[in-house]
Formats: sequence, structure tokens, C-alpha cells
Amino acid sequence: MSLVTIGISGYGVYVPRLRIKKEDYAKAWGSFSAAGVGEKSVMGFDEDVLTAAAKVSRRALESVPTTPNSVTRFAIASTSPPYLEKLLSGTVMVSVGMPNYALSSDHITSTRAGTEAMLAGFEHVTANPKGVALVAAADAPLASMWDSIEHALGAGAAAFVLSNENLIAELEGHASYASEYFGERFKSRNETLVHDLNVKKFSESSLIKNATSAGTALLNKLGRKPEEYNHVVIQQPDARVPATIGARMQFTDLQLAAGMTAKVLGDLGAASTPVSLAAVLDVAKVGDKIMVISYGSGAGSDALSFKVVSDRKSTIRFQAEADRKEYIDYVKYLKLKGAIL
Amino acid sequence: MAHVSVPMYWRTIPQRYRLVGLKCKKCGSVNFPPKGVCKYCNASSEFEEIKLSGRGKVHTFVLISAGGAPPEFADQEKAGGQYPVAIVQLEEGPKVIGQIADADPKEVKMDMPVTTELRKIYTEEGVIRYGFKFVPERK
Repeated sequence: MSLVTIGISGYGVYVPRLRIKKEDYAKAWGSFSAAGVGEKSVMGFDEDVLTAAAKVSRRALESVPTTPNSVTRFAIASTSPPYLEKLLSGTVMVSVGMPNYALSSDHITSTRAGTEAMLAGFEHVTANPKGVALVAAADAPLASMWDSIEHALGAGAAAFVLSNENLIAELEGHASYASEYFGERFKSRNETLVHDLNVKKFSESSLIKNATSAGTALLNKLGRKPEEYNHVVIQQPDARVPATIGARMQFTDLQLAAGMTAKVLGDLGAASTPVSLAAVLDVAKVGDKIMVISYGSGAGSDALSFKVVSDRKSTIRFQAEADRKEYIDYVKYLKLKGAIL
Repeated sequence: MAHVSVPMYWRTIPQRYRLVGLKCKKCGSVNFPPKGVCKYCNASSEFEEIKLSGRGKVHTFVLISAGGAPPEFADQEKAGGQYPVAIVQLEEGPKVIGQIADADPKEVKMDMPVTTELRKIYTEEGVIRYGFKFVPERK
């Protein structure tokens, strides 16, 4: 643990307006393979993870409130960057008006990237007590329409301002776990689409091993019991995974409820735990404790523990973002995804 | 397609990403997009940079439908359907042309309050050209 108290000073969330229902998939394919997902969010034609990251970055700064020129560290996380080689953070920094001299990093290789970027931000404000880190996670993962992993893929973004002042939630501690697993959710060098070999039990064993190891390590480090947490946020490749992990760690559905974004937005990839954490911060009360456990294939997990210390909320709430929607059908969805060549 | 070279587009990044305009030191008018000589007083080329808020009201608009889109926006129209293009009166004074994103085209109205955000404008030479579009202001 750091000697200075650090944590989240502001946050912002964004959900693209378009939605597709599971019934539309069922009509097209005869079934829908994303457990527990009722509908999911879809980016418009002129959006990508950088435009979404710019939007949530602004919202997060406004929620403190602080100005873009106070930022000394910027980190962006996504598994679906618009370029495979080219700095991503610069686009967002210039658009938001952050100083060009701020240290930046792009975290893009797994769905764990969201918490990876947050921890990079926390390390910065631990080492630089006057520092202000802005971390944006935005994702809209893309897979082949023929791949069942595609059914769950949604879109969303969240950003956090991390510092040692004006805190909404203190970081109590964190723990990580990394290991070697393969065959699940990967993109080879010459591919732009996410693959999955569909070895379900094997994927599940990786998920359970990594997520519970990071989570349990953090509980042990803090001397906490699972029931001491008011809210628990777990990576959501679908809306069933949190319950699977939760059951192993003795977390209840009630603890998971506020952060279950996949039910209405689908799999948000690297933005899954960040968006879900923002949804939890919207409803959390002073004194509440929040556990966040991410997971990325390959594989690894980060666990972070927060204590809520202020009732200050972001102006644009997660629920308002989730409620603002326009439904599209499957054909329009395919056109937007560029699947009809 | 109206070709805009990468260096030419790059030079407009401050105005396209951040709405940086020029305030005339002589008459005080805000020029956006930036001009060499103030287009209001025609008597000064001395300016100070000013970042516009992005807030404004729809002065007038059209809906672009199939066949109406310039080539660089044809794919957008095909995939996303009809889209609105507006002239917006910004609160600092200038009238600016831009697309209205994130809105049902049928809900766009005259005098509707809008603000700006970063969007993809189009892609040319494999380079994504980002820039501002207008979006309805959220209450």
C-alpha cells in the first residue's frame, strides 16, 4: 500500500445510442449464444474507440471538476484500436486538450487492458503525489459474424481521473495474477477479428483460475472477507461469468447486481470492468466497499479494492446512458460492422 | 472525392479537434474556421487564439439521403442511412457547417441546442480523418 491516499477523483461513462436485441440474432441465426445478454450496444458509423475515449475523458474531467491541462499521465485501453500501429493516446490528448508533455501509454492486447491502464495511472499518482492521471477505456470488439463469440460483443467507454485529492473512492489495494493459457479469444498478427476456438470448459478454467487467484490474493492482502464488499464488479464476456466467478469466491448476486452491465450492453471488452465500476460508483454510498476483478485471455486478471468516501457523482449517469437508445435490426447491424462486403 | 492531402488536413487539426478559432484584435469578432484576414472588418490580420465552447443553435439544416452524399460520405450514408448537415450559429458568433451525429434525423429542428464532439469524418489514403460534429446538447 502507498503511504499517500490515492483514488478516483472523477469518472465519466458513455454508451453508444444504438442497440440490437437478442431476438434479432435469434431470427437470423436460430439462436443467440451470449448467456444472459438481452440486448447490446453498437457504435455508429462515425464512432470508434478514440472518439468514445475522448468523450468519456471530458466527462471524467468535468466531474471533478478539473481542466485537461492538469493531466500529467494519460492511459488508454482497448482491444479494438483503429490502427494496429500508430499512437492512440495522442488523438485523445489533442482532442481533449491535455498537455503534450503528459506521459501516455496505449494498452491494447487483452480485455484486462482497462484495469492495466488504471493501475498504470495509480502507479503514476503514487510516485508523483501532485500528479493527475486520466485513464480511458473504450471498446467495441469485432469478430466474424460466423463466430459465436461475436454475439456478445457490445460497445462502451468509461474514464477515471486518479489523484490524491478530491477523492470519490480510495484505492485500498490491488493484486494481479498472470499465467499461460491459449486458444481462447485471440487475434493473430495477420487478423483484425477476434478468434475463439470454442473450447468452453478450457476457457472457463482459465477464467476461474486467473480471476479467483487475483481476487483471493487481494482479499488476503487486505484481510477482508467476501461479505464485507457492498459491490463486486467482475469481467463480463457475457452476463453469466460474474456469477460463475462470484460463486467460487462467495460473492452473491446482490453484490454483483449494480455492476452487471453486460445484460443490457453485451461484452465491453477492455471497457467491461471500467464501465461497470462507473455504474457502481453512480449508486454507491459513502463507506461502501467495491471489489473489481478484470480478466483478459492469455491470461491474466487484476483485482482492485475501493472504499467510497464521497457522494459526488458524475453528471451523466450510467443508467441515463443505458436508457438512451435506438434499436436497429440485424441487417443494419451488419452494415455498420462492415460485414457485408 | 474532394482530395484533402494528409499535410493539409493535419494543419487544420486544432480547429477540427478542439475548435481553436481566431479573435480579431481590431474588431473583436471571432473567425472560425481561422482566416488570414478578419472576414468581419477586413482590416486586420492580428488575432489571438480562442478555444470555442462548441455550443450553438441549429440555424438551418438539410437531410442527406441516398445519392446526395459526396463520395467521401457515401459509405456513411449507405451503412448508417440519412444524415443531417447543419449550419450552426455558435455562441461566440460564427456560423459553421457540420454534420449532426448521435440524433434521429427526424428529430433535428431549427434552433435546437447543439454541442460538438470528436467523430470520424471520413477515411482517405487509409488515414482516418477525425474532426468535430455537432450532437444534440444533453440536459
